[in-house]
Amino acid sequence: MFPIVLQTGDWAFVAANWEWLVLGTAVTVLLTASSLLVGLLAGFPAGAIEAYGSGRLRGAVDTAGVVLRGTPIVVLIVLFYYGLPIPSLGSIPLLDVRLSAFVAATLALGLRSGAYQSQVFRGAIQSIDDGQMEAARSVGLTRIQAIRHVILPQAIRRSIPGFQNEFTIVLKDTSVAFAIGLAELLTRAENLYLQPGRDSAMFEIILAISVIYFVLTFTTNRTLDYLGDVYAIPEGTES
Amino acid sequence: MSLLEFEHVEKTYEEEDVLRDVSFAMDRGDVEVIVGPSGAGKSTLLRCVNRLTEIDGGRIVLDGDPIHDLDVNDLRRRVGMVFQDFNLFSHRTARGNITLGLEEVLELDHETAVERADAHLDQVGLSDQVDSYPAELSGGQKQRVGIARALAMEPELMLFDEPTSALDPELVGEVLDVMADLAAEGMTMLSVTHEMGFARSAADTLTVLEDGQIVERGRPEQLFETPENDRTAEFLGRLTDLEQ
Repeated sequence: MFPIVLQTGDWAFVAANWEWLVLGTAVTVLLTASSLLVGLLAGFPAGAIEAYGSGRLRGAVDTAGVVLRGTPIVVLIVLFYYGLPIPSLGSIPLLDVRLSAFVAATLALGLRSGAYQSQVFRGAIQSIDDGQMEAARSVGLTRIQAIRHVILPQAIRRSIPGFQNEFTIVLKDTSVAFAIGLAELLTRAENLYLQPGRDSAMFEIILAISVIYFVLTFTTNRTLDYLGDVYAIPEGTES
Repeated sequence: MSLLEFEHVEKTYEEEDVLRDVSFAMDRGDVEVIVGPSGAGKSTLLRCVNRLTEIDGGRIVLDGDPIHDLDVNDLRRRVGMVFQDFNLFSHRTARGNITLGLEEVLELDHETAVERADAHLDQVGLSDQVDSYPAELSGGQKQRVGIARALAMEPELMLFDEPTSALDPELVGEVLDVMADLAAEGMTMLSVTHEMGFARSAADTLTVLEDGQIVERGRPEQLFETPENDRTAEFLGRLTDLEQ
């Protein structure tokens, strides 16, 4: 099937439109970055609240997490885009992205990622041996000081593999912004093959963006692995 | 005046009496070893002193201050604790384990804290390991860092909760040597340990605890040679046999 589908003329079409796809890639990268930032800002405190909090605040965080994790991301994005009173903010020049769509996608992807990141972080906090807190309290540190200087630094390091996972997931899931017509990579790919007479190039175009997605996830993961090694601290078995 | 006094201390966990009417006093410079079968309440007794565990009755007095009248962090600054499982902060070096309390609790500046940390690491024979992380140290070295960490706070009293129980046999000696040095220097020490050699040579007082009650308390040689209570004879005999 491949030799029939893959045609030189279609590849030439992809090549001729590379700038269009590069702009889409830029939007994808921007959306990934903004969503992860929102996810981190929401997930980090949420995880701490789930580990240490109590009462209504913790209940609210718990519920928000369950709802966000239990709703399909496409549904979330559409819901946020049409349901939230986001003012029409014009568009980002050059990238040709409607700001209101970008904000809705960032919130949906970011908050959902935050709901998962909070679990990563909560688990990391709870995995720290109780003896660490006892030892910190025994030298006279307050609970807050102990959390800040003893528990969190260790919990953050243990969260890195989980956060790395989130990075890949969010990057790939930006493609779902396709559902609200945000001009990220997948939407722009569709723009190309929906042009009159270009439907034969669909397979080549999708293949091309698959490669772009793969290169993005692969290189960021390798970079994060490298950074993880650089900042690693000898951590033996808990004792 | 005694440095540490237990007055009719009671502790209950889920309706089970863990400490029952425990009373004794230690003077400054005393070395007291507590022994007893597992579940006797030995660790609980130690943990009540720095309020990791709260007592349910009676009172504990540190150098004239009932510990419940003290700010809990002040109390803990005055009482050092060494754990069976070391509990070193695994993200900090040997030196960093010690400077944390010095900088955050005693509010020493960084240079003074490092100087003091290094001096205490030297005291426990680890001046060549200041930059090592816990995972890079042997069990005996970890426990010596644990002791240095507590000592650096310049406590009035040191608590040792089975400090050698988690160690391989060949590493026990280096930790006991450090403890014996401390005892010789006049540190007040309350220690739960089953090291009878240490009890005989370094302790001023030996206490046998069973079912949360003091069975017998006296000078170690007296308890070993002419125990008044049959349980004392039986228990100490078993421990001594184990060591041979």
